[in-house]
Amino acid sequence: MEKKYGVYICKGCGIGDSIDIEKLAKSAKSGTIKEEDIKTHDILCSPEGLQMIKGDIKKGVNTLIIAACSPRVKYDEFDFPGCIVERVNIREFVAWTQPPKTDDTQALAEDYLTIGAVKAQKSDLPAPNILENLSNNILVIGGGISGMTAALESAKAGYKVVLVEKEAQLGGFANKLYKKIPTRDYKEPVIVDTEIDKVIKEVESHPNIKVYKSAKVEKTEGQPGLFDVTIASSDGVVTEKIGAIVLATGWIPYDATKLGHLGYGKYKDVVTNIEFEQIAKSGAITRPSDGKEAKKVAFIQCAGSRDPNHLPYCSSMCCATSLKQARYVRQKSDAIAMILYKDMRTPGRLEAFYKEAQNDPGVMLTKGEVTGVTDAGNGNLYVMMENSLLGEKVKVEADLVVLATGMVPTTRAPQEYLDGLTEAGTKGDEAKKAYLDSTPKPEFILNLTYRQGPEIPSLPGAYGFADSNFICFQYETRRTGIYAAGPVRQPMNMTDAQEDAAGAAFKAIQCIDHVSKGVAVHPRAWDLTFPDPQLIRCTACKRCTEECPFGAIDEDAKGIPFYKVNRCRRCGTCMGACPERIVSFKDYSIDIIGSAIKSIEVEEEEFRIVCLVCENDAYPALDTLAIQRKQIDPSVRFIPLRCLGGMHLVWIADAFSKGIDGFLLLGCKFGENYQCHFVKGSELANTRFSKVGETLNKLQLEADRVKMIQVAIDEYHKLPDMINEFAEKVKEIGHNPFKEF
Amino acid sequence: MEQEKTQVSEVKVEEAVAETPAPAKDDSVIVSPDLEFVNAIIQGGGESLKKCYQCATCSVVCNLTPADKPFPRKEMINAQWGLKDKLIANPDIWLCHQCSDCTAYCPRGAKPGEVLNVVRKMSIENYSVPKALGKLVGSPGGLIPLLAVPAVIFLIILAALGHLNIESIYNEAGKIAYSALLPSYFIDGVFVPIFLFAVVSLFVGITRYWKAMVQYTGLKPQGSIWPAISETIGEILTHKRFEKCNVTIDRKLAHMLVFFSFIGLAITTAWAVFYLYGYEILHAMGKTPPSFLLGPSPYPLTDPLKWLANISALALLIGIVMVINNRKKNEAKAGKGGYYDWLFIYIVFAVMATGILSELFRLANIAILSYLVYFAHLMVVFFLFAYAPFSKMAHMLYRATAMVFAKATARDAGVKY
Repeated sequence: MEKKYGVYICKGCGIGDSIDIEKLAKSAKSGTIKEEDIKTHDILCSPEGLQMIKGDIKKGVNTLIIAACSPRVKYDEFDFPGCIVERVNIREFVAWTQPPKTDDTQALAEDYLTIGAVKAQKSDLPAPNILENLSNNILVIGGGISGMTAALESAKAGYKVVLVEKEAQLGGFANKLYKKIPTRDYKEPVIVDTEIDKVIKEVESHPNIKVYKSAKVEKTEGQPGLFDVTIASSDGVVTEKIGAIVLATGWIPYDATKLGHLGYGKYKDVVTNIEFEQIAKSGAITRPSDGKEAKKVAFIQCAGSRDPNHLPYCSSMCCATSLKQARYVRQKSDAIAMILYKDMRTPGRLEAFYKEAQNDPGVMLTKGEVTGVTDAGNGNLYVMMENSLLGEKVKVEADLVVLATGMVPTTRAPQEYLDGLTEAGTKGDEAKKAYLDSTPKPEFILNLTYRQGPEIPSLPGAYGFADSNFICFQYETRRTGIYAAGPVRQPMNMTDAQEDAAGAAFKAIQCIDHVSKGVAVHPRAWDLTFPDPQLIRCTACKRCTEECPFGAIDEDAKGIPFYKVNRCRRCGTCMGACPERIVSFKDYSIDIIGSAIKSIEVEEEEFRIVCLVCENDAYPALDTLAIQRKQIDPSVRFIPLRCLGGMHLVWIADAFSKGIDGFLLLGCKFGENYQCHFVKGSELANTRFSKVGETLNKLQLEADRVKMIQVAIDEYHKLPDMINEFAEKVKEIGHNPFKEF
Repeated sequence: MEQEKTQVSEVKVEEAVAETPAPAKDDSVIVSPDLEFVNAIIQGGGESLKKCYQCATCSVVCNLTPADKPFPRKEMINAQWGLKDKLIANPDIWLCHQCSDCTAYCPRGAKPGEVLNVVRKMSIENYSVPKALGKLVGSPGGLIPLLAVPAVIFLIILAALGHLNIESIYNEAGKIAYSALLPSYFIDGVFVPIFLFAVVSLFVGITRYWKAMVQYTGLKPQGSIWPAISETIGEILTHKRFEKCNVTIDRKLAHMLVFFSFIGLAITTAWAVFYLYGYEILHAMGKTPPSFLLGPSPYPLTDPLKWLANISALALLIGIVMVINNRKKNEAKAGKGGYYDWLFIYIVFAVMATGILSELFRLANIAILSYLVYFAHLMVVFFLFAYAPFSKMAHMLYRATAMVFAKATARDAGVKY
């Protein structure tokens, strides 16, 4: 494409009062950008302003440099399909954060415009990468309430669904339940039939749904839109073409044999909440020991939950389940249910269900720490409690004790096994072999043929759940095109699981849609670009295949990376990882960012600091502080990155050799409560950054000239101090000696 | 090296000692909820008991509770746990004066004041003898049989006297005189045994309660209890504790009126006994009684006895009407109260209303109304006294006893009145 440039400078929102616009316009003139290509406007986003741009586009302008507000606003107004559009943020980064009409302010605006011009010159217009023979089918793994709901929602939206269930019948845990909690109103009746049969019937009779029972996924190959999934069932082995996958394999109850201190295994009349469902389902509530009807049933909440020795988390459904089961007991008017809790947790509307149970004279609820279960000597049991409400030790007499055990995701066992294997692998082949020999292999779920492993990778703090990020991306897993729904993702009850399933089904549909258009999926859902490595220069170092947060890159036998583009989320982590600098996007590459850095005007007597900014969290935080008119040191130039995972060390060398005095990175928080949109970008940047000392030493520069700051999106109020302090520090160190060269 | 070893072994010995403490006495409270008990509280007017989610707002807003082991949260929990014996043998249930501040501030509408009220009722019911009578007084179904007892007794007496007719209400002077209808010997013949029965029953009940308090609280009065008794009497006379209430502060005046009117009427009764029996005894001894001993009723309105009687009666009527009004006014905040409360209030009201009307109809010389109202008056007075050990009337002794116990054991030492 032959580029025809148009530079548009807006004077609105205080920009004109802060910057000498004419001078700025003149500075934009360069070899390729002629004076007549540069225009200014009072309010560029007004219909007149936009009309002016559209008129130029009609005349052949196809590369637009728009110096106005932040690219995070007015994106609909400044959307010009078919054109390269480079937004230069002179409103938030200059007019709103600098004193008006100073030399420093002017220099800053001119630098930003230059950077924008360089990026526009180096960028190419991306074309979508649409793969052939894409499948629109959705695979749902797990035929419980979550899986069935996901299947029905997808099917009703017009998609063909393949449902795989490992049991001989659909229904999952709902099959084991005697009754369930009503979904709307908690007045009488307080317990209702699960009606799971109706759902099963609907699934099995739906023309869009193909059900495999007693089946498992033996192999998942390929990428979104092009998955080949091998399914083994009693009817043999088949391979289905699949577009996207909903993982709804649910949970298993926590192993109660580990709860010996609560009498499980020692006393027959101590049962789990799941076993209690079966007792209730069989008719009367009877004791396993002597078959007598139970009249005083104690429920021990958090049995093994919220306990660092067992499950450190809350399974969120056990409190409501025990309240429900208390109502089973209360179907006999002379029977009593006693719920012994650390805290009752009944989120949302379930609070009303809780209150309703409180009003029942035969449901006793009391707080305390259960320390054990002993024999009362009269055929009954004592539940021992400490720190009761009155501070006393109490013994609660019961003829049946129910342990409210929590949920363990089905993904946990494979994750733990694979993590163990990886760890053993780091100790050498022998250790790995010993591990393989000694550790029983759990049942895998997805059996992916990915280079990074056969299952959803584990995540610190997720306790084996197939969760990727707690805040923003509910159904995302760390494998693109595979969406988790229900208790495999997070502990939840049936009602929540159904909502979850609908959400995950929608994400699967969205994925199929995006893949068919050749654009990225969430979070860069609009992005037409994709990584385009020049493999001829690849040294097979495998850094990209190892560091890709989404396992998008496989390897051939020689270790040469093989991009599965539909798995890619366009974060650029591979670009930052590659020592050969062979990975580029049409509008994002080592050269583009490097050239942008090098285009910064470095005056001998001035300080200049480059700040690479994560565009997901840190950039909006900068915009926010600008809205609040906080002042930023004028020596700092912000350059956004898709993710700090794309940060390449060569840029630091570029900057310092050019004479830049300081180099700052603003990235997301990492660690347990990480907030990176791409899982671990800022963490990777930090690892790479830790090696920067060598580079600086080579250049005989002070290590304090570089710094990485972790910042959350809501910490905008702390940012000015963080940045300004760094700038002060750099000024203390003094000018970069390379400036003179 | 040698030294180190010794040190290590010493530490080990210490650890070993620490690891094997003397087998701790199991002082756990056995919790075994009693559905019947919970249901009884609910039926007795504490229907909101189960709403309690144990937040302790009640104990925080209460101005009457001691800071240590405060009520009424403890009682709410014990009630839910079904610890009946512990609950009814507790002095705290009477230290509560049912201000209803707790009820007004309870975020769940669990009405702790009402629940404690029911527990007090159950406490009286439990300790009073015979228990069956207590049950009957506490339940609405008992009202008719309990009223039937005095009705039958007085009908039998009147029939035996041949006084089942209107004419017999007139005395020799042709005036309406209740002493002509039912000579005082018959009245006293009924009421003196009834009174003695009530006194004995109350005494037994109070004694049982005291013993239970000692047993369940583990507290024993230290030294003489007389200072506690005199202090308690002082507090009762001044109604100091009522002053600490916020929501139902108006109750102080109403309760004082009722309380002192009862004392006034007690004096009136003694005075009348003196008039009648003083006169009769002297007469029987063949002496001429002095003129101030008026003998059998009716007495003239100018007599000081009648002043005290009429003033007390009026004050009691006003007081009890105020009680009713206050309860209605505070119903939204403090709760409705149960059958047990209203029975007592209406019996007191009925005693006063029938008493005053008897006098008015007598003075107006309306025989038929005088006869009927006086008969009703006898019935409700009987009710008030005979069932006093079981009705809310007993609260004055149970509460006073609990206050003495609390003072003697320093249970509420930190509370300033």
